[in-house]
Amino acid sequence: MLTRFRVEGEGERSSMAENDDLGIERTASIQNPTKPSSSIGARVRATHDDDEDEVRVSLRPVLPHSSSDLIHQEAARALSVMDSFHQPWLTGVELLDDANRNKHVLPTGLEGIDVLLGGGLREGQLIEIAGPSSSGKTQPLQMQVCLHSASCIADKGSVMFLDTCNSFSPNRIACMVNQFSGPLFKEAKERRLERIMSSILCQPIYDIFELLDTLHQLESTLKHTVKTGGYKICLLIIDSISSLIAPILGGKSPQGRLLMVSAGIVLKKLAHEFNLAVLVTNHMVGGEGGIIKPALGESWKNIPHVRLVVSRDQQSNVFTATVLKHTMRVAYYIHVSEFTCNTDINYSQMKNQSKNHRILNMLILHLYNVPIAACF
Amino acid sequence: MEIANLPISASQRSKLLSAGYATLSSLSSLSPSHLARDLNIELQEALEILKVVSDAADRSKSTDGHHQALKGVQTAWDMLSEEQMQQHITTGCEDLDHILRGGIHCGEVTEVGGVPGIGKTQLGIQLAVNVQIPVEYGGHGGQAVYIDTEGSFMVERAHQIAEGCINGILDNFTDHDRKILACQEWMQPNSFLSNIFYFRICSYTEQIAVTNYLEKFLKEHKDVKIVVIDSVTFHFRQDFDDLACRTRILSGMSLKLMKLAKTNNLAVVLLNQVTTKYTEGSFHLTLALGDSWSHSCTNRIILYWNANERYAYIDKSPSLPSASAPYSVTSKGIRNSTSHCKRVRMM
Repeated sequence: MLTRFRVEGEGERSSMAENDDLGIERTASIQNPTKPSSSIGARVRATHDDDEDEVRVSLRPVLPHSSSDLIHQEAARALSVMDSFHQPWLTGVELLDDANRNKHVLPTGLEGIDVLLGGGLREGQLIEIAGPSSSGKTQPLQMQVCLHSASCIADKGSVMFLDTCNSFSPNRIACMVNQFSGPLFKEAKERRLERIMSSILCQPIYDIFELLDTLHQLESTLKHTVKTGGYKICLLIIDSISSLIAPILGGKSPQGRLLMVSAGIVLKKLAHEFNLAVLVTNHMVGGEGGIIKPALGESWKNIPHVRLVVSRDQQSNVFTATVLKHTMRVAYYIHVSEFTCNTDINYSQMKNQSKNHRILNMLILHLYNVPIAACF
Repeated sequence: MEIANLPISASQRSKLLSAGYATLSSLSSLSPSHLARDLNIELQEALEILKVVSDAADRSKSTDGHHQALKGVQTAWDMLSEEQMQQHITTGCEDLDHILRGGIHCGEVTEVGGVPGIGKTQLGIQLAVNVQIPVEYGGHGGQAVYIDTEGSFMVERAHQIAEGCINGILDNFTDHDRKILACQEWMQPNSFLSNIFYFRICSYTEQIAVTNYLEKFLKEHKDVKIVVIDSVTFHFRQDFDDLACRTRILSGMSLKLMKLAKTNNLAVVLLNQVTTKYTEGSFHLTLALGDSWSHSCTNRIILYWNANERYAYIDKSPSLPSASAPYSVTSKGIRNSTSHCKRVRMM
């Protein structure tokens, strides 16, 4: 959290800034002490995100203090004001309570993926799905997963879909929703479809700045709805974040990386404060030795809580999902779940082949004494 | 909102930060001359920064208190009914239209790739002609933009395809109606040609420039319903040492095209070449420009030879299943495949 103060005086200004480890940056411009006869007006302006407080301090040299003392006093006072601008602390019990009450797990509807993720997408977390798009005949599988979870979760709350590739297909979602509805009367089916489809919101985004802007707006909207108790968004999908970041990343200027990281921070903040599950998709690039890996590089790597890689075997048409990173699970072992999918229009019906579950590679054994069987 | 998230240049951002401005509110009440003095920049530049700031401040203000105020948000339900109303641009080949559910979709970017001589340019010209079929005859009555980077657009061929298209429409009518129709002005091949806007591109800088210019052009020409780029690859395959830079430029360009497609509700068709790729010990033919480019189109259609017949295969699409269909290139344009249409082998 960045809190910034400006102390402005009339006349000449000198400024001092200090940075401490907590990320609080302090700037104070101090009145030039060579003119003691004039009254000194200092304005302390504290800005903390959107809320703004203004403290007016008027300094009059009544006592024969030396003016440098006075300035020191006022600077200390200004700094003490800003010390009150930090987030209140929480105890572990409160955190656990918050997690139990507000951080639900949203099932994606794909059994295999749900098993891997420990029940589904967890609210308050940033989940990344990466997958190749055009290795020959591969379907944009990650998008299928996205659409699938959107259609599944929309039953419970709103889903917001930020679309960068014009790939949001309402037709497809309608198909999936109808598949799940089971044997219902036609009218009930219609109504259900309308209800679910109305709770999926979609917005096209073509620019990283547009994204940051939208997230900012979303934040103030959510703040408002929390107060008034309006509708609740429980899943935010960005498909795909890599296509927004690719045009700015790399080169000599660090600005691209800065924007990428700040987008990540905003997403995690939204996820935490408003109990959203955030799902972003990433594409794959060829790494060293021709092995493909998720794009966006090292600095993105530690931003998502969960990283999932999906791939598809072209002959058997079996989709494989691999967990690269999971904050809630035993770290450092990769397990694989397979699910099949038909190539015709019903290919959303990815069925779990539980028999094929296997642990591919166990690098480090259970850190938390979780038996492997519990992971499935 | 913080300064770091504003769409301003990196140097301006660092100047602002070092002068002590970190949030929008710290800039909101400044005069341009004050800012120019503080940052040691031109007045004009300071004005531009303040404009960006006030725009961003307006946007964040307007959302306060209205939960539906997120601009441009649509529910999937509204989009579904919109999508069902949507007309598609026919390819001329019924089998291909069938697997595409009616033809090339408006509002999406479709990439078409294949080996040389498979008929990519033919398909491009065909689409530029077909988009002009009047609404009464099941078309769009639109105009087309054709961006030619390779110099392969043949105007005589376009004339021929336009004639084929006109004859196709006339076939649905009786002799009497046909005579009346044939006299109308729009039924002349030349009027079809006059509705194709042709840009000849000779370098990749020109290609980037024309992509940027299209936004303005399309505002002035609201009837344009298709933009064909033939081919998107050509200039990017040569004279490019820095591949990372190429990826950046291409992905930026593709986002612009996506935006054009969505905002103007038109179809963008990108023609792409093929390249060989080494995977798992063997070489495969794949579309050019690499893996990251493959994410930058909504749909992907691959054209290939199967024995002596041309086939189109849907490789990627958010709404359509993978499928393939045969087609043929005739003197009239792209048509259904018939058995006597064999590939002529020049051995």
